[in-house]
Amino acid sequence: MRIVIGEGSCGVAAGAAKVHAALDAALTPADGIQVGITGCIGMCYLEPIVDLYDGDALAARLVKVGEKHAPAIAEAARTGNLELVADLRISSEDEEFLSKQTRIALRHCGVVDPTSLDDYRKDDGYQALAKVLGEMTPEQVIDQIKTSGLAGRGGAGFPTWFKWNAARQNQGERKYLICNADEGDPGAFMDRAVLESDPHVVIEGMLIGAYAIGASEIIVYVRAEYPLAIKHLEIAMEQARAANLLGDDILGSGFSCDMRIKAGAGAFVCGEETALIASLEGQRGMPRLKPPFPAERGYLASPSNINNVETFANVTWIINNGGEAYAAMGTENSKGTKVFALTGKIVRGGLVEIPMGATLRDVIFGIGGGIRDGKQFKAVQMGGPSGGCIPADLLDTVIDYKALSATGAIMGSGGMVVMDETTCMVGMAKFFLDFTAAESCGKCVPCRLGTERMQEILVRLVKGQGREGDIELLEELATFVGGSSLCGLGMTAPNPVLTTIRYFRDEYEAHIAQKKCPAKECVDLLTYSIDPQTCTGCTLCARKCPVDAISGEKKQAHTIDPQACIRCGQCLDSCRFGSIVVE
Amino acid sequence: MSEITITINGRQLQCQEGEMILPVALRNGIHIPNLCAAKELAVYGACSLCVVEVEGARKLLRACATKVADGMVIQTHTPKVLQSRKLALELIMADHSGQCVGPCSMTCPAHTDVQGYIKQIALGNDRKAVEIIKSKIPLPASIGRVCPHPCEGDCRRGLIEEPLSIAFLKAFTADRDRESDDPFVPELAPATGKRVAVVGGGPAGLTAAYKLREAGHGVTVFEAMPEMGGMLRYGIPEYRLPKAVLAAEVASIEALGVEMRTGVKVGTDVAFAQLREEYDAVLLTVGAWAATGVGCEGDDLDGVLSGIDFLRQVNEGDAPQIGPNVAVVGGGNTAMDACRTAVRCGAENVYVVYRRTRAEAPAADEEIADAIEEGVDFRFLTNPARILGENGRVTGMKLQVMELGEPDASGRRRPVPVEGQFVGLDVDTVIAAIGQKCVADGLEGLELTAKGNIVADAATGATNLEGVFAAGDATNWGAGIAIEAIGEANTAVAGICDYLAGRETVAFKPYFSQKEPPAAVIEMMRKSPKPRAVMPVKPAGERKHTFDEVINGFSEEAARAEAARCVECGCHDFKECKLIKYVNENPLDPARFEGAHHPAYRERELQVIERDQGKCILCNQCVRVCREVAGQGLLGLVNRGYQSVIKPEFQDVDVAAICGDCHKCVDLCPTGALRLL
Repeated sequence: MRIVIGEGSCGVAAGAAKVHAALDAALTPADGIQVGITGCIGMCYLEPIVDLYDGDALAARLVKVGEKHAPAIAEAARTGNLELVADLRISSEDEEFLSKQTRIALRHCGVVDPTSLDDYRKDDGYQALAKVLGEMTPEQVIDQIKTSGLAGRGGAGFPTWFKWNAARQNQGERKYLICNADEGDPGAFMDRAVLESDPHVVIEGMLIGAYAIGASEIIVYVRAEYPLAIKHLEIAMEQARAANLLGDDILGSGFSCDMRIKAGAGAFVCGEETALIASLEGQRGMPRLKPPFPAERGYLASPSNINNVETFANVTWIINNGGEAYAAMGTENSKGTKVFALTGKIVRGGLVEIPMGATLRDVIFGIGGGIRDGKQFKAVQMGGPSGGCIPADLLDTVIDYKALSATGAIMGSGGMVVMDETTCMVGMAKFFLDFTAAESCGKCVPCRLGTERMQEILVRLVKGQGREGDIELLEELATFVGGSSLCGLGMTAPNPVLTTIRYFRDEYEAHIAQKKCPAKECVDLLTYSIDPQTCTGCTLCARKCPVDAISGEKKQAHTIDPQACIRCGQCLDSCRFGSIVVE
Repeated sequence: MSEITITINGRQLQCQEGEMILPVALRNGIHIPNLCAAKELAVYGACSLCVVEVEGARKLLRACATKVADGMVIQTHTPKVLQSRKLALELIMADHSGQCVGPCSMTCPAHTDVQGYIKQIALGNDRKAVEIIKSKIPLPASIGRVCPHPCEGDCRRGLIEEPLSIAFLKAFTADRDRESDDPFVPELAPATGKRVAVVGGGPAGLTAAYKLREAGHGVTVFEAMPEMGGMLRYGIPEYRLPKAVLAAEVASIEALGVEMRTGVKVGTDVAFAQLREEYDAVLLTVGAWAATGVGCEGDDLDGVLSGIDFLRQVNEGDAPQIGPNVAVVGGGNTAMDACRTAVRCGAENVYVVYRRTRAEAPAADEEIADAIEEGVDFRFLTNPARILGENGRVTGMKLQVMELGEPDASGRRRPVPVEGQFVGLDVDTVIAAIGQKCVADGLEGLELTAKGNIVADAATGATNLEGVFAAGDATNWGAGIAIEAIGEANTAVAGICDYLAGRETVAFKPYFSQKEPPAAVIEMMRKSPKPRAVMPVKPAGERKHTFDEVINGFSEEAARAEAARCVECGCHDFKECKLIKYVNENPLDPARFEGAHHPAYRERELQVIERDQGKCILCNQCVRVCREVAGQGLLGLVNRGYQSVIKPEFQDVDVAAICGDCHKCVDLCPTGALRLL
């Protein structure tokens, strides 16, 4: 038997490296048991995950593994007696998390060892590249991509073939292919997972793109906060170079293309392609107006093509299986699959890849298992700070660029944050505006000053200082910022505000007119009190209160001093009689 | 590159393929506001002011960054465009922290460029100073002598020591210019062929006559009195404003080609309807020549007269009908003029009866001080209860004793009677200087206020009658000070010019950025105080027997030094500032977006230029010109988003060593954020 540990960032964060060390300690070379690693399996909520393989077949998937389980796992691997780890095995319900998915971009994630070229090649690795270089013209490659209907997975959904074709058509001494791995949406980790778990699929996809447009250099712009992704990418790059998959005269085809990695400092706006190019050039990461588009005048004023990690991750599958097979999945407007990072108040959170055309309900309830702790689903934020929220009555919206845009949200790069009844939508809008206002580059007036004022208005709403007319002012500013900003950051920054106003206007009104937060999340708008009918005078809350705001005699009903109370909620959590009333 | 045709605002224009919309529009005289574009710089597109509507485009497009295309149809001032520009400017101004003009100019009812002319006086350029003053006040020597100078009340020198002597400096420089070989004479616009009748030759009428001539219109002033000047001539006593000074200034206005017809009363000597018939427009500046009575028993006795009648008689040279014991009722400037004139007419005992205290009196405090020096006996906190008489003649007054109660609508504490307390005053003459009102007799069809004043539009001076405008004491709130009448006359002239040109007046209150006085200025004043120049005056004992002018005038040395006390609160770049020009093209309300703003902060770490973060709008032109044109790249942007500031990007750059002193950065700055050191 063979042991494989999921050591993506999420696995490591949950303790996978410690489990790995404990397993190494529990085994001796005489056991002949290999302990290998894989990347992100996708079930963040079950990490650390350890897989037991019998040959190439998965014999058992063990979840929420701790160091203490190492001896039992070692013994099971030695003996093949899986009964020893029966209580660690994944439940059939949890298995649905993966079985209900259709994995293309993620097809190797959690399966192959990301640091092994052999592992990648075992399946179909680099066959697509060989096919392209050996049998296809660049035009035929672009044609296949066109047939597939692949669109930019970074968020905007622009047809990939069109960009490739434009970059191919534009003349230039040198052309560049750039991979945008500056994934910056709070709550999104699709690109990180792909780079950490399957770097070769991205390199192969990029090489095919480079061949199609005639680029001689590939640059991966990846945020420095992704050290594991950078490390795996570097390893893969060296391996590819050594195997003549990268560099001069690749596979003897006459096509030469090299690659380098540029670590970005983590400015959100550098995910915008013109700002990304400025940053690559050593300038301040500020967007410029388009046109000219990068395909015409990009990095170092040369024709450049920029695609997102997930876009590249789809390319090899399309070449291997044909554009038609890819286009067979999805809707009329949106083809293939899409990866989402499912997070928030969800039972099962993690990486989800499903065909376009599935509904939000399929993802959130079918795969994600619905809302945690028996609470009610309220809304889902799609596309992070650039996206919008979609409320419960639109749960049957299909995942399709057009259908999602119609709701006011966007497909986005794949962030999917699920909210329940305890999430204040005004506070949610403020959270994302705090983010975009802080991440604005400061260049254009609408974004620099507009987001600042919108953020100030939202701050006063959650503090109970909202004024009559604030909603209208927000709408006015939102329209201006969205309509007149220079780049995508500003154009989309108002979306969380606009969609929350559209679907939850009553919550905004309550914050202004009654100075109340219906979700009871805005602490400045809450009052804590104790119901004297049910309070038993157990004194527990008084002892928990960090500011001594609760007083009362033993076995007598207690009271909270509203002046002293800091609304931390400790009393609420500690009371066993449900006597704490929050309004 | 080939020539193509585009249409902007309905005009077909030829241009080259590859050009952007903005330069094509500007080249053809089509105005599109822009704050970050410059010919010598690459396209940037940050300010978002230059947005235009292009047919077929869903969104507004930036004119600076949109290439022309053959057949393109562009609109630069649609409601959608204006709304977007308005919001952009409101956001910029809500963040901008500057002081466009000094508090003196903000306060002046005529918005005179005080800082501008004070600077010229300090530099010794009297002609230039007078040119600046006369663009608002064509009677600077007269107004400099009589104006109660609200400007001085807000002068920031006054925060620490005493305000500048602005009014007297105005009189000083005007006298110098008038008596020079080459006094300032305004350039007149080419004749328009339009004629305007101005009814009333007081400060408002004379101002209007000057400004209308300047604009190229023909002007006839109809004055009911034998001489021009209105209240300046007949209300203000000689010792404050010598007739010769006024006459000289009137003559300078007449010399511009103004026809002055004195002794002609409109409504009596010539019909109002006839004026409306014969002239393209009529401006009513008839003043407020009727006095308000004392309003107590006995106010119809012989020996009771009104302040303005009394002053007029004296100014006309008639023997005043006053006895040796005179009571003047009131606390305003007319009361002061009346009591001091009574002293000069030989009255033995002159009293001022005023129902509040000196602190509440509307008269300028120095006037009260001068009157006290001249022996006037002030009876504050008294009010006439009854004027006593025998045989129909005044023999004395019964005065109700007052005390101050709660503040009234004007903010002053309301005088209330102390029940049952009265005092007597032995007088033979009572001069009522309480109030004035307009008498609009013979001006048929005019809409009047409840108090009988002419209703005039605050923004244009227009009355309810077609082609008839009004300004000054006769309008709306009634009598005020001369500079208010002059301010209204300026407004009415703009209204008349628009009317005569068939233009709609787009009038709204101009917006000025204002801020707290900078700490550095306060500190500077504290460290090196410069006391206010004292105006030399004739001693009270001497002056009370004569109507000779009380003040002796500043010496040149004193005047130049006084002018140099100005701390120049207003922005040095106000006249060239593109931002404030755009701001005042349309009404704005930046207060909607009050919140955080970049405080005024002058820093000199660039060594060769001073940068005011409060005024910077981050157009980045300085950064770009230094990099793209000067080839240096000394400046850069630091921080992100709202916190972005312009600074050298790296701390250890020796700016002074690298900077080539080309000052292109300062030249391009669209606001006053940069200045050369």
